Amino acid sequence: MSQKQEVVISLKNVSKSFQGKKIINDVSFDIISGETFVIMGCSGSGKSTLLRLMTGAIRPDKGNIFIKGKDISRISSEELDEVKKGFGMLFQYSALLDSLTVEENIALPLKEHTKLADDIIKIIIKMKLSLVGLKGYEKHYPSQISGGMRKRVGLARAIALDPDIVFYDEPTSGLDPVVGGVIDKLVKDLSSKLLITSVVVTHDMQSVFNIADRVAMIHKGELVGLGTADEIKASANPYIQQFINGRPEGPIDFFKEDIGIIEALGL
Amino acid sequence: MVSRLGRIAIETVRAISGVIKLFLEILYWIIFGPFKGKFPHRQSIFYQMVFVGLRSVLIVFFVTLFTGIVLAMQSAYQLQKMGAVLYIASLVAISLCRELSPVLTALVVAGRVGSAFAAELGTMKVSEQIEALDTMAIDPVRFLAVPRFVALFFMLPCLTVLGNISGIFGGFLVGTNSLNINADLYMQTTYKYLELRDINSGLIKSFVFAIIIALIGCYEGLNTKGGAEGVGKATTKSVVVSFILIILADCLLTAIFYFSKV
Repeated sequence: MSQKQEVVISLKNVSKSFQGKKIINDVSFDIISGETFVIMGCSGSGKSTLLRLMTGAIRPDKGNIFIKGKDISRISSEELDEVKKGFGMLFQYSALLDSLTVEENIALPLKEHTKLADDIIKIIIKMKLSLVGLKGYEKHYPSQISGGMRKRVGLARAIALDPDIVFYDEPTSGLDPVVGGVIDKLVKDLSSKLLITSVVVTHDMQSVFNIADRVAMIHKGELVGLGTADEIKASANPYIQQFINGRPEGPIDFFKEDIGIIEALGL
Repeated sequence: MVSRLGRIAIETVRAISGVIKLFLEILYWIIFGPFKGKFPHRQSIFYQMVFVGLRSVLIVFFVTLFTGIVLAMQSAYQLQKMGAVLYIASLVAISLCRELSPVLTALVVAGRVGSAFAAELGTMKVSEQIEALDTMAIDPVRFLAVPRFVALFFMLPCLTVLGNISGIFGGFLVGTNSLNINADLYMQTTYKYLELRDINSGLIKSFVFAIIIALIGCYEGLNTKGGAEGVGKATTKSVVVSFILIILADCLLTAIFYFSKV
Protein backbone atom coordinates (compact mmCIF):
# COMPACT_ATOMS: atom_id res chain seq x y z
CA MET A 1 0.00 0.00 0.00
CA SER A 2 1.19 3.49 -0.73
CA GLN A 3 2.43 6.02 1.76
CA LYS A 4 -0.44 8.47 1.50
CA GLN A 5 -3.80 7.17 2.63
CA GLU A 6 -5.82 9.11 0.12
CA VAL A 7 -9.29 7.92 -0.87
CA VAL A 8 -9.51 7.73 -4.68
CA ILE A 9 -12.82 5.94 -5.15
CA SER A 10 -15.69 6.30 -2.77
CA LEU A 11 -19.15 4.73 -2.99
CA LYS A 12 -21.87 6.13 -0.77
CA ASN A 13 -25.16 4.25 -0.40
CA VAL A 14 -25.22 3.21 -4.04
CA SER A 15 -28.32 1.39 -5.34
CA LYS A 16 -29.20 0.24 -8.83
CA SER A 17 -32.21 -1.62 -10.19
CA PHE A 18 -32.89 -3.16 -13.57
CA GLN A 19 -36.51 -3.65 -14.59
CA GLY A 20 -37.67 -3.33 -11.01
CA LYS A 21 -35.16 -5.86 -9.72
CA LYS A 22 -32.61 -4.56 -7.25
CA ILE A 23 -29.13 -5.54 -8.39
CA ILE A 24 -27.11 -3.29 -6.09
CA ASN A 25 -28.56 -2.40 -2.71
CA ASP A 26 -27.10 0.38 -0.59
CA VAL A 27 -23.40 -0.36 -1.03
CA SER A 28 -20.76 1.93 0.47
CA PHE A 29 -16.99 1.59 0.64
CA ASP A 30 -13.80 3.57 0.04
CA ILE A 31 -10.80 2.54 -2.03
CA ILE A 32 -7.46 3.97 -1.00
CA SER A 33 -4.77 5.20 -3.39
CA GLY A 34 -2.28 2.51 -4.40
CA GLU A 35 -4.09 -0.48 -2.96
CA THR A 36 -5.37 -3.55 -4.76
CA PHE A 37 -9.02 -3.83 -3.91
CA VAL A 38 -10.79 -7.06 -4.81
CA ILE A 39 -14.54 -7.40 -5.12
CA MET A 40 -15.60 -11.03 -4.95
CA GLY A 41 -18.94 -12.74 -5.12
CA CYS A 42 -20.91 -15.43 -6.93
CA SER A 43 -22.12 -15.10 -10.50
CA GLY A 44 -25.12 -12.83 -10.44
CA SER A 45 -24.19 -11.22 -7.12
CA GLY A 46 -23.96 -7.80 -8.77
CA LYS A 47 -20.20 -7.42 -8.74
CA SER A 48 -19.93 -6.70 -12.48
CA THR A 49 -22.74 -4.17 -12.17
CA LEU A 50 -20.80 -2.57 -9.35
CA LEU A 51 -17.76 -2.31 -11.63
CA ARG A 52 -19.84 -0.78 -14.41
CA LEU A 53 -21.16 1.77 -11.94
CA MET A 54 -17.61 2.70 -10.96
CA THR A 55 -16.49 3.09 -14.59
CA GLY A 56 -19.46 5.29 -15.38
CA ALA A 57 -20.94 2.89 -17.94
CA ILE A 58 -24.20 3.02 -16.00
CA ARG A 59 -25.42 5.55 -13.45
CA PRO A 60 -26.79 4.63 -10.04
CA ASP A 61 -30.47 5.15 -9.13
CA LYS A 62 -29.51 6.32 -5.67
CA GLY A 63 -26.29 7.28 -3.93
CA ASN A 64 -23.04 8.83 -5.08
CA ILE A 65 -19.83 7.53 -6.59
CA PHE A 66 -16.76 9.71 -6.21
CA ILE A 67 -13.65 9.16 -8.31
CA LYS A 68 -10.81 11.41 -7.22
CA GLY A 69 -13.35 13.68 -5.61
CA LYS A 70 -15.66 13.96 -8.61
CA ASP A 71 -19.19 12.62 -8.27
CA ILE A 72 -19.48 10.64 -11.50
CA SER A 73 -23.12 9.85 -10.89
CA ARG A 74 -24.07 13.51 -11.27
CA ILE A 75 -21.64 15.07 -13.76
CA SER A 76 -22.25 15.74 -17.46
CA SER A 77 -21.03 13.24 -20.04
CA GLU A 78 -18.23 15.63 -21.12
CA GLU A 79 -16.92 15.77 -17.56
CA LEU A 80 -17.35 12.02 -17.27
CA ASP A 81 -15.16 11.61 -20.37
CA GLU A 82 -12.42 13.56 -18.61
CA VAL A 83 -12.69 11.24 -15.59
CA LYS A 84 -12.62 8.20 -17.92
CA LYS A 85 -9.29 9.32 -19.39
CA GLY A 86 -7.85 9.00 -15.87
CA PHE A 87 -8.50 5.28 -15.56
CA GLY A 88 -8.00 2.13 -17.59
CA MET A 89 -10.05 -1.00 -17.75
CA LEU A 90 -9.26 -4.61 -18.58
CA PHE A 91 -12.35 -6.41 -19.85
CA GLN A 92 -13.27 -10.00 -19.17
CA TYR A 93 -12.79 -10.97 -22.82
CA SER A 94 -10.15 -8.27 -23.43
CA ALA A 95 -12.50 -6.38 -25.82
CA LEU A 96 -9.71 -5.54 -28.26
CA LEU A 97 -10.95 -4.12 -31.55
CA ASP A 98 -10.77 -7.04 -34.02
CA SER A 99 -10.14 -4.83 -37.00
CA LEU A 100 -7.00 -3.26 -35.53
CA THR A 101 -3.57 -4.76 -34.88
CA VAL A 102 -2.13 -5.05 -31.38
CA GLU A 103 -0.16 -1.88 -32.00
CA GLU A 104 -3.18 0.07 -33.28
CA ASN A 105 -5.27 -1.09 -30.35
CA ILE A 106 -2.80 0.29 -27.86
CA ALA A 107 -2.32 3.45 -29.94
CA LEU A 108 -6.06 4.12 -29.99
CA PRO A 109 -6.43 5.99 -26.68
CA LEU A 110 -3.12 7.79 -27.31
CA LYS A 111 -4.19 8.99 -30.75
CA GLU A 112 -7.65 9.96 -29.53
CA HIS A 113 -6.71 11.84 -26.41
CA THR A 114 -3.20 13.17 -26.90
CA LYS A 115 -1.40 15.17 -29.56
CA LEU A 116 1.73 13.02 -29.40
CA ALA A 117 3.72 12.50 -32.59
CA ASP A 118 3.55 9.07 -34.21
CA ASP A 119 7.13 8.11 -33.36
CA ILE A 120 6.56 8.96 -29.69
CA ILE A 121 3.42 6.81 -29.74
CA LYS A 122 5.49 3.99 -31.26
CA ILE A 123 7.93 4.24 -28.35
CA ILE A 124 5.09 4.23 -25.80
CA ILE A 125 3.59 1.14 -27.45
CA LYS A 126 6.95 -0.65 -27.28
CA MET A 127 7.26 0.30 -23.62
CA LYS A 128 3.77 -0.88 -22.68
CA LEU A 129 4.17 -4.11 -24.61
CA SER A 130 7.45 -4.94 -22.94
CA LEU A 131 5.82 -4.19 -19.59
CA VAL A 132 3.33 -7.00 -20.27
CA GLY A 133 5.98 -9.18 -21.90
CA LEU A 134 4.70 -9.08 -25.47
CA LYS A 135 7.43 -7.28 -27.38
CA GLY A 136 7.43 -8.18 -31.07
CA TYR A 137 3.70 -8.78 -31.37
CA GLU A 138 2.92 -5.28 -32.67
CA LYS A 139 1.71 -6.33 -36.09
CA HIS A 140 -0.45 -9.27 -34.98
CA TYR A 141 -4.22 -9.11 -35.04
CA PRO A 142 -6.17 -10.09 -31.89
CA SER A 143 -7.45 -13.22 -33.64
CA GLN A 144 -3.87 -14.40 -34.22
CA ILE A 145 -2.83 -14.50 -30.57
CA SER A 146 -3.97 -16.61 -27.61
CA GLY A 147 -6.51 -15.62 -24.97
CA GLY A 148 -3.83 -14.95 -22.37
CA MET A 149 -1.92 -12.74 -24.79
CA ARG A 150 -5.09 -10.85 -25.65
CA LYS A 151 -5.60 -10.18 -21.94
CA ARG A 152 -2.09 -8.81 -21.71
CA VAL A 153 -2.61 -6.61 -24.77
CA GLY A 154 -5.84 -5.43 -23.16
CA LEU A 155 -3.82 -4.58 -20.08
CA ALA A 156 -1.25 -2.70 -22.17
CA ARG A 157 -4.10 -0.73 -23.72
CA ALA A 158 -5.62 -0.05 -20.30
CA ILE A 159 -2.37 1.51 -19.09
CA ALA A 160 -1.56 3.32 -22.35
CA LEU A 161 -2.53 6.72 -20.96
CA ASP A 162 -0.68 6.11 -17.67
CA PRO A 163 -3.82 6.01 -15.56
CA ASP A 164 -3.65 5.97 -11.77
CA ILE A 165 -6.63 3.61 -11.49
CA VAL A 166 -7.10 0.34 -13.39
CA PHE A 167 -10.29 -1.73 -13.23
CA TYR A 168 -10.09 -5.45 -13.92
CA ASP A 169 -13.17 -7.48 -14.82
CA GLU A 170 -12.44 -11.16 -14.08
CA PRO A 171 -8.78 -10.89 -15.17
CA THR A 172 -8.04 -14.61 -14.78
CA SER A 173 -11.28 -16.18 -15.98
CA GLY A 174 -10.92 -18.54 -18.91
CA LEU A 175 -7.15 -18.80 -18.53
CA ASP A 176 -5.04 -21.75 -17.48
CA PRO A 177 -3.54 -21.53 -13.95
CA VAL A 178 -0.09 -20.55 -15.20
CA VAL A 179 -1.30 -17.72 -17.43
CA GLY A 180 -3.68 -16.74 -14.64
CA GLY A 181 -0.68 -16.52 -12.34
CA VAL A 182 1.13 -14.38 -14.92
CA ILE A 183 -1.80 -11.97 -15.04
CA ASP A 184 -1.91 -11.87 -11.24
CA LYS A 185 1.77 -11.03 -11.16
CA LEU A 186 1.24 -8.27 -13.72
CA VAL A 187 -1.55 -6.80 -11.62
CA LYS A 188 0.70 -6.85 -8.57
CA ASP A 189 3.67 -5.42 -10.50
CA LEU A 190 1.61 -2.59 -11.91
CA SER A 191 0.42 -1.54 -8.51
CA SER A 192 3.84 -1.81 -6.90
CA LYS A 193 5.96 -0.39 -9.76
CA LEU A 194 3.61 2.22 -11.17
CA LEU A 195 1.66 2.86 -7.93
CA ILE A 196 -1.60 2.17 -9.71
CA THR A 197 -4.77 1.69 -7.69
CA SER A 198 -6.30 -1.60 -8.81
CA VAL A 199 -9.93 -2.61 -8.51
CA VAL A 200 -10.40 -6.27 -9.37
CA VAL A 201 -13.69 -8.11 -9.75
CA THR A 202 -13.22 -11.85 -9.59
CA HIS A 203 -14.44 -15.13 -8.19
CA ASP A 204 -11.09 -16.86 -8.61
CA MET A 205 -10.10 -17.48 -4.96
CA GLN A 206 -6.46 -18.23 -5.70
CA SER A 207 -6.16 -14.94 -7.49
CA VAL A 208 -7.93 -13.07 -4.69
CA PHE A 209 -5.39 -13.99 -2.03
CA ASN A 210 -2.48 -13.60 -4.45
CA ILE A 211 -3.11 -9.97 -5.21
CA ALA A 212 -5.52 -8.45 -2.72
CA ASP A 213 -4.68 -5.81 -0.16
CA ARG A 214 -8.33 -5.58 0.79
CA VAL A 215 -11.33 -7.67 -0.16
CA ALA A 216 -15.03 -6.88 -0.35
CA MET A 217 -17.59 -9.65 -0.61
CA ILE A 218 -20.85 -8.95 -2.44
CA HIS A 219 -23.91 -11.15 -2.15
CA LYS A 220 -27.26 -10.39 -3.77
CA GLY A 221 -26.20 -6.82 -4.34
CA GLU A 222 -25.23 -6.19 -0.75
CA LEU A 223 -21.87 -5.84 0.92
CA VAL A 224 -21.55 -8.79 3.31
CA GLY A 225 -17.89 -8.48 4.23
CA LEU A 226 -14.97 -6.07 3.92
CA GLY A 227 -11.45 -6.32 5.24
CA THR A 228 -7.80 -7.07 4.49
CA ALA A 229 -7.03 -10.35 2.80
CA ASP A 230 -6.00 -11.94 6.10
CA GLU A 231 -9.05 -10.66 7.92
CA ILE A 232 -11.28 -12.13 5.23
CA LYS A 233 -9.47 -15.45 5.39
CA ALA A 234 -9.96 -15.58 9.15
CA SER A 235 -13.48 -14.18 9.07
CA ALA A 236 -16.23 -16.10 10.82
CA ASN A 237 -18.83 -14.69 8.42
CA PRO A 238 -20.68 -17.74 7.08
CA TYR A 239 -21.10 -16.20 3.60
CA ILE A 240 -17.38 -15.57 3.28
CA GLN A 241 -16.42 -18.98 4.62
CA GLN A 242 -18.80 -20.74 2.26
CA PHE A 243 -17.53 -18.70 -0.68
CA ILE A 244 -13.79 -19.05 -0.12
CA ASN A 245 -14.10 -22.76 0.58
CA GLY A 246 -16.52 -23.34 -2.28
CA ARG A 247 -19.02 -25.30 -0.23
CA PRO A 248 -22.39 -26.04 -1.84
CA GLU A 249 -24.23 -25.84 1.51
CA GLY A 250 -24.52 -22.68 3.51
CA PRO A 251 -26.25 -19.31 3.58
CA ILE A 252 -25.60 -18.79 -0.14
CA ASP A 253 -28.27 -21.14 -1.46
CA PHE A 254 -27.78 -21.51 -5.14
CA PHE A 255 -30.88 -23.52 -5.84
CA LYS A 256 -33.36 -21.25 -4.17
CA GLU A 257 -31.72 -18.06 -5.27
CA ASP A 258 -32.74 -16.69 -8.63
CA ILE A 259 -29.53 -15.70 -10.33
CA GLY A 260 -29.67 -12.12 -11.58
CA ILE A 261 -30.87 -12.46 -15.14
CA ILE A 262 -29.45 -9.12 -16.11
CA GLU A 263 -26.05 -10.16 -14.84
CA ALA A 264 -26.27 -13.57 -16.48
CA LEU A 265 -26.97 -11.90 -19.82
CA GLY A 266 -24.09 -9.52 -19.26
CA LEU A 267 -26.30 -6.43 -19.46
CA MET B 1 -53.60 -9.47 -27.98
CA VAL B 2 -54.05 -5.85 -26.95
CA SER B 3 -51.00 -5.99 -24.73
CA ARG B 4 -48.98 -7.49 -27.60
CA LEU B 5 -50.05 -4.69 -29.93
CA GLY B 6 -49.17 -2.22 -27.22
CA ARG B 7 -45.73 -3.74 -26.82
CA ILE B 8 -45.13 -3.65 -30.58
CA ALA B 9 -46.21 0.00 -30.65
CA ILE B 10 -43.86 0.87 -27.79
CA GLU B 11 -40.98 -0.98 -29.46
CA THR B 12 -41.62 0.82 -32.74
CA VAL B 13 -41.74 4.22 -31.12
CA ARG B 14 -38.56 3.43 -29.21
CA ALA B 15 -36.79 2.28 -32.39
CA ILE B 16 -37.87 5.35 -34.34
CA SER B 17 -36.73 7.71 -31.61
CA GLY B 18 -33.47 5.74 -31.34
CA VAL B 19 -32.81 6.07 -35.07
CA ILE B 20 -33.59 9.80 -34.99
CA LYS B 21 -31.30 10.24 -31.99
CA LEU B 22 -28.52 8.39 -33.82
CA PHE B 23 -29.05 10.60 -36.88
CA LEU B 24 -28.81 13.77 -34.78
CA GLU B 25 -25.69 12.46 -33.02
CA ILE B 26 -24.04 11.68 -36.35
CA LEU B 27 -24.92 15.15 -37.69
CA TYR B 28 -23.63 16.68 -34.47
CA TRP B 29 -20.24 14.97 -34.85
CA ILE B 30 -19.99 15.84 -38.54
CA ILE B 31 -20.94 19.51 -38.10
CA PHE B 32 -19.71 20.42 -34.60
CA GLY B 33 -17.05 17.75 -34.07
CA PRO B 34 -14.35 19.61 -36.04
CA PHE B 35 -14.83 22.71 -33.83
CA LYS B 36 -13.97 20.57 -30.81
CA GLY B 37 -10.90 19.22 -32.57
CA LYS B 38 -12.63 15.87 -33.12
CA PHE B 39 -12.47 15.32 -36.86
CA PRO B 40 -14.09 12.29 -38.40
CA HIS B 41 -11.46 9.63 -39.03
CA ARG B 42 -10.25 10.19 -42.55
CA GLN B 43 -8.56 6.82 -42.69
CA SER B 44 -11.64 4.87 -41.68
CA ILE B 45 -13.85 6.96 -43.99
CA PHE B 46 -11.64 5.96 -46.93
CA TYR B 47 -11.57 2.36 -45.76
CA GLN B 48 -15.37 2.32 -45.61
CA MET B 49 -15.62 4.08 -48.98
CA VAL B 50 -13.61 1.30 -50.56
CA PHE B 51 -15.75 -1.31 -48.86
CA VAL B 52 -19.06 0.42 -49.62
CA GLY B 53 -18.27 1.78 -53.06
CA LEU B 54 -15.49 0.04 -54.86
CA ARG B 55 -16.38 -3.45 -53.68
CA SER B 56 -20.01 -2.97 -54.77
CA VAL B 57 -19.17 -1.87 -58.31
CA LEU B 58 -19.34 -5.30 -59.89
CA ILE B 59 -22.64 -6.37 -58.37
CA VAL B 60 -24.29 -2.99 -59.12
CA PHE B 61 -22.96 -3.16 -62.67
CA PHE B 62 -24.44 -6.59 -63.34
CA VAL B 63 -27.76 -5.99 -61.62
CA THR B 64 -28.46 -2.79 -63.54
CA LEU B 65 -27.03 -4.13 -66.81
CA PHE B 66 -29.44 -7.05 -66.80
CA THR B 67 -32.28 -4.81 -65.66
CA GLY B 68 -31.57 -2.60 -68.67
CA ILE B 69 -31.59 -5.62 -70.97
CA VAL B 70 -34.84 -6.99 -69.52
CA LEU B 71 -36.49 -3.58 -69.60
CA ALA B 72 -35.58 -3.13 -73.28
CA MET B 73 -36.90 -6.57 -74.25
CA GLN B 74 -40.11 -6.24 -72.28
CA SER B 75 -40.92 -2.84 -73.72
CA ALA B 76 -39.97 -3.97 -77.23
CA TYR B 77 -42.70 -6.59 -76.88
CA GLN B 78 -45.29 -3.82 -76.52
CA LEU B 79 -43.74 -1.07 -78.60
CA GLN B 80 -43.19 -3.32 -81.62
CA LYS B 81 -46.96 -3.59 -81.97
CA MET B 82 -47.15 0.18 -82.34
CA GLY B 83 -44.08 0.46 -84.49
CA ALA B 84 -42.39 2.63 -81.89
CA VAL B 85 -39.38 0.47 -81.20
CA LEU B 86 -37.04 3.45 -81.41
CA TYR B 87 -38.54 4.89 -78.23
CA ILE B 88 -37.10 2.01 -76.26
CA ALA B 89 -33.98 4.15 -75.94
CA SER B 90 -35.68 6.95 -74.06
CA LEU B 91 -37.95 4.65 -72.13
CA VAL B 92 -35.06 2.60 -70.82
CA ALA B 93 -32.95 5.64 -69.99
CA ILE B 94 -35.67 7.58 -68.20
CA SER B 95 -37.10 4.71 -66.20
CA LEU B 96 -33.62 3.65 -65.17
CA CYS B 97 -32.39 7.08 -64.12
CA ARG B 98 -35.57 8.14 -62.36
CA GLU B 99 -36.48 4.91 -60.71
CA LEU B 100 -34.83 1.57 -61.25
CA SER B 101 -31.18 2.38 -60.90
CA PRO B 102 -31.45 4.30 -57.60
CA VAL B 103 -33.81 1.74 -56.06
CA LEU B 104 -32.02 -1.38 -57.25
CA THR B 105 -28.62 0.00 -56.29
CA ALA B 106 -29.96 0.92 -52.85
CA LEU B 107 -31.46 -2.55 -52.37
CA VAL B 108 -28.24 -4.25 -53.43
CA VAL B 109 -26.19 -2.02 -51.13
CA ALA B 110 -28.65 -2.50 -48.25
CA GLY B 111 -28.21 -6.24 -48.63
CA ARG B 112 -24.47 -6.11 -48.95
CA VAL B 113 -23.36 -3.14 -46.88
CA GLY B 114 -26.20 -2.40 -44.44
CA SER B 115 -26.14 -6.00 -43.26
CA ALA B 116 -22.36 -5.88 -42.90
CA PHE B 117 -22.64 -2.72 -40.76
CA ALA B 118 -25.19 -4.41 -38.51
CA ALA B 119 -23.18 -7.63 -38.24
CA GLU B 120 -19.87 -5.89 -37.58
CA LEU B 121 -21.17 -3.40 -35.03
CA GLY B 122 -23.39 -6.09 -33.49
CA THR B 123 -20.41 -8.37 -32.96
CA MET B 124 -18.50 -5.47 -31.44
CA LYS B 125 -21.44 -4.77 -29.15
CA VAL B 126 -21.79 -8.32 -27.82
CA SER B 127 -18.03 -8.78 -27.37
CA GLU B 128 -17.78 -5.65 -25.17
CA GLN B 129 -15.79 -3.72 -27.80
CA ILE B 130 -18.34 -0.88 -27.88
CA GLU B 131 -18.26 -0.67 -24.10
CA ALA B 132 -14.47 -0.66 -24.21
CA LEU B 133 -14.53 2.33 -26.56
CA ASP B 134 -16.93 4.07 -24.23
CA THR B 135 -14.70 3.35 -21.23
CA MET B 136 -11.76 4.84 -23.13
CA ALA B 137 -13.89 8.00 -23.55
CA ILE B 138 -14.14 7.39 -27.30
CA ASP B 139 -17.67 8.00 -28.53
CA PRO B 140 -18.78 4.87 -30.45
CA VAL B 141 -21.07 6.94 -32.70
CA ARG B 142 -18.23 9.23 -33.74
CA PHE B 143 -15.72 6.42 -34.05
CA LEU B 144 -17.87 3.80 -35.80
CA ALA B 145 -21.10 5.24 -37.18
CA VAL B 146 -19.85 8.55 -38.63
CA PRO B 147 -17.27 7.06 -41.06
CA ARG B 148 -19.83 4.52 -42.29
CA PHE B 149 -22.49 7.16 -42.72
CA VAL B 150 -20.21 9.56 -44.59
CA ALA B 151 -18.83 6.82 -46.83
CA LEU B 152 -22.26 5.55 -47.78
CA PHE B 153 -23.68 9.05 -48.26
CA PHE B 154 -21.09 9.79 -50.92
CA MET B 155 -20.69 6.37 -52.47
CA LEU B 156 -24.31 5.37 -53.04
CA PRO B 157 -25.00 8.23 -55.49
CA CYS B 158 -21.76 7.33 -57.29
CA LEU B 159 -22.93 3.74 -57.58
CA THR B 160 -26.29 5.00 -58.81
CA VAL B 161 -24.61 6.94 -61.63
CA LEU B 162 -22.71 3.80 -62.51
CA GLY B 163 -26.03 1.93 -62.47
CA ASN B 164 -27.57 4.51 -64.83
CA ILE B 165 -24.74 4.06 -67.29
CA SER B 166 -24.64 0.28 -67.20
CA GLY B 167 -28.44 0.02 -67.42
CA ILE B 168 -28.53 2.27 -70.46
CA PHE B 169 -25.74 0.16 -71.89
CA GLY B 170 -27.88 -2.95 -71.35
CA GLY B 171 -30.75 -1.36 -73.26
CA PHE B 172 -28.31 -0.29 -75.94
CA LEU B 173 -27.12 -3.88 -76.40
CA VAL B 174 -30.67 -5.13 -76.96
CA GLY B 175 -31.63 -2.19 -79.16
CA THR B 176 -28.67 -2.37 -81.48
CA ASN B 177 -28.27 -6.13 -81.66
CA SER B 178 -31.67 -7.75 -81.68
CA LEU B 179 -33.92 -4.82 -82.61
CA ASN B 180 -31.57 -3.51 -85.29
CA ILE B 181 -31.67 0.11 -84.23
CA ASN B 182 -28.73 2.10 -85.49
CA ALA B 183 -26.28 2.74 -82.65
CA ASP B 184 -26.01 6.47 -83.30
CA LEU B 185 -29.75 6.81 -83.54
CA TYR B 186 -30.18 4.91 -80.26
CA MET B 187 -27.84 7.24 -78.40
CA GLN B 188 -29.34 10.33 -80.03
CA THR B 189 -32.82 9.31 -78.92
CA THR B 190 -31.48 8.71 -75.43
CA TYR B 191 -29.91 12.17 -75.23
CA LYS B 192 -32.91 13.85 -76.75
CA TYR B 193 -35.42 12.67 -74.19
CA LEU B 194 -33.32 12.19 -71.10
CA GLU B 195 -33.15 15.43 -69.16
CA LEU B 196 -30.89 16.47 -66.33
CA ARG B 197 -33.83 16.61 -63.93
CA ASP B 198 -34.43 12.89 -64.52
CA ILE B 199 -30.93 12.12 -63.36
CA ASN B 200 -31.13 14.60 -60.49
CA SER B 201 -34.35 13.20 -59.12
CA GLY B 202 -32.74 9.75 -59.10
CA LEU B 203 -29.69 11.09 -57.31
CA ILE B 204 -31.77 12.87 -54.68
CA LYS B 205 -33.47 9.55 -54.02
CA SER B 206 -30.14 7.80 -53.65
CA PHE B 207 -28.94 10.33 -51.06
CA VAL B 208 -32.06 9.61 -49.02
CA PHE B 209 -31.60 5.85 -49.44
CA ALA B 210 -27.99 6.16 -48.28
CA ILE B 211 -29.14 7.87 -45.08
CA ILE B 212 -31.70 5.11 -44.50
CA ILE B 213 -29.25 2.24 -45.07
CA ALA B 214 -26.50 3.73 -42.91
CA LEU B 215 -28.82 4.66 -40.05
CA ILE B 216 -30.66 1.34 -39.93
CA GLY B 217 -27.46 -0.71 -40.26
CA CYS B 218 -25.66 1.22 -37.53
CA TYR B 219 -28.70 1.43 -35.24
CA GLU B 220 -29.37 -2.30 -35.39
CA GLY B 221 -25.69 -3.04 -34.85
CA LEU B 222 -25.22 -0.69 -31.92
CA ASN B 223 -28.38 -2.00 -30.23
CA THR B 224 -27.66 -5.70 -30.61
CA LYS B 225 -28.41 -7.82 -27.56
CA GLY B 226 -27.65 -11.37 -26.61
CA GLY B 227 -24.72 -13.06 -28.31
CA ALA B 228 -24.46 -14.69 -31.71
CA GLU B 229 -28.19 -15.08 -32.11
CA GLY B 230 -28.64 -11.38 -31.43
CA VAL B 231 -26.11 -10.52 -34.15
CA GLY B 232 -28.01 -12.71 -36.61
CA LYS B 233 -31.30 -11.08 -35.70
CA ALA B 234 -29.84 -7.58 -35.99
CA THR B 235 -28.41 -8.37 -39.41
CA THR B 236 -31.68 -9.76 -40.75
CA LYS B 237 -33.67 -6.94 -39.25
CA SER B 238 -31.41 -4.30 -40.73
CA VAL B 239 -31.96 -5.70 -44.23
CA VAL B 240 -35.72 -6.14 -43.84
CA VAL B 241 -36.27 -2.70 -42.32
CA SER B 242 -33.99 -1.01 -44.87
CA PHE B 243 -35.82 -2.67 -47.78
CA ILE B 244 -39.22 -1.57 -46.52
CA LEU B 245 -38.05 1.96 -45.77
CA ILE B 246 -36.31 2.29 -49.14
CA ILE B 247 -39.47 1.33 -51.03
CA LEU B 248 -41.58 3.56 -48.79
CA ALA B 249 -39.23 6.52 -49.26
CA ASP B 250 -39.16 5.84 -52.99
CA CYS B 251 -42.93 5.96 -53.10
CA LEU B 252 -43.07 9.25 -51.18
CA LEU B 253 -40.27 10.89 -53.16
CA THR B 254 -41.76 9.83 -56.49
CA ALA B 255 -45.07 11.33 -55.43
CA ILE B 256 -43.34 14.55 -54.41
CA PHE B 257 -41.40 14.75 -57.69
CA TYR B 258 -44.50 13.90 -59.70
CA PHE B 259 -46.76 16.46 -58.13
CA SER B 260 -44.13 19.18 -57.98
CA LYS B 261 -43.25 18.42 -61.62
CA VAL B 262 -39.56 17.94 -60.94
